[in-house]
Amino acid sequence: MVSHADKTVEVAHADDPQAGRFERAVLPHLSAGFTLAMYLTGNKADAEDAVQEAILRAVRYFSTLRDEDARAWFLTIVRRVCFTAYRTDRPQGADMVSIDAVGPQLVDSREQPDMAVERLHVQQRVRDAIDQLPPLLREAIVLRELQSCSYVEIAAVTEVPVGTVMSRLSRARARLADLLHDVVDFGDVA
Amino acid sequence: MSERPDLGKAMREALPVYEASPALQAWAREEARKLDKDVSSPRESRNGALSAAVRRLSRWPIAAGLLIAAVAGWGAGSLRLSGRSTSPTNGITNELVDAHVRSLLPGHLMDVESSDRHTVKPWFTGKTDIAPPVFDLSDKGFPLLGGRLDYVDGHTAAALAYGRRLHKINLFVWRTGPNEPADGSYAVRGYSMLHWTNGGLSYWAVSDAAPSELEAFHDAYTK
Repeated sequence: MVSHADKTVEVAHADDPQAGRFERAVLPHLSAGFTLAMYLTGNKADAEDAVQEAILRAVRYFSTLRDEDARAWFLTIVRRVCFTAYRTDRPQGADMVSIDAVGPQLVDSREQPDMAVERLHVQQRVRDAIDQLPPLLREAIVLRELQSCSYVEIAAVTEVPVGTVMSRLSRARARLADLLHDVVDFGDVA
Repeated sequence: MSERPDLGKAMREALPVYEASPALQAWAREEARKLDKDVSSPRESRNGALSAAVRRLSRWPIAAGLLIAAVAGWGAGSLRLSGRSTSPTNGITNELVDAHVRSLLPGHLMDVESSDRHTVKPWFTGKTDIAPPVFDLSDKGFPLLGGRLDYVDGHTAAALAYGRRLHKINLFVWRTGPNEPADGSYAVRGYSMLHWTNGGLSYWAVSDAAPSELEAFHDAYTK
């Protein structure tokens, strides 16, 4: 039976009829939170602990989530946990995951061998370039390009004005363009 | 050279996106369902909130600290939490539930795994400033599983783990403080808690078992 009440319709369309409001709002973003935690803490154990702590905090403060974007809200909590619990006691530079260590090797087996090598080479250069970015620029560009966050979401997650996000993104792109313009299309920026 | 990808495509190809492990997902779902089930039921009695507010007057530096932490940590939005997160009782009970939930994660329940109280009790010596009474209550349906150290409400706590059929009960013990919450039952986020004091020690039993089970546990432990 279809109800006119939006909420009822939403429940009826949820994957799992048992899922409640918190589960539907927050849990779809668990892996996004884990990915962010991996980039911020640099290792799986800390990232898992951070996400656990973030879930506990999210449960506790769920009543403060009104009509906002639940993903940005949850990522904000994850980021806060990472910064307060795992960042302050780390030496500078050790606070972000080394992208070198964990890169996937996306190679199409139908490619010509020299094309595959070329592609691996490009991926390595992209990782190196991202690795060289200052943490705040890297965080912004990772949220934007990897997690497909809007400017408003990035602003919410990183707790700075949208204008700051835009300037961080453009600074990140400019630096990446310097390093990667021969292999990546930067459009107008490059 | 093939066509150059744009930055987004190049980054998605080069950088890993991670998946939360199945264990983490299952645990988070369980937490979510507890909250969703709990969300319409009252959390703590008005009396509890009132007495907490009265206590807060006598320990305003701590309340102010909590408030500052809340504002610094969560922005103005957190003020909507009103008394719930800033009252001392809620702080302790929430922390206890967090500690209980943490203990249920794989490998977290016990530092010393033993049903022998003569093993568990000496283990705490030198690790805490208290000697929690340790009993094996198997014959009353609460087998001793072990013990561990935990950190709750700003101090070390001895935690004893007991079983109750499929449930776990954590008994947290520390020295009584000047602003001891009232003895009695508390319910937070779907968990039951029973608090009592005896002989200068403060006890908190926490479980997802029914409140009546905790009362039975209290009877067995204090007999």
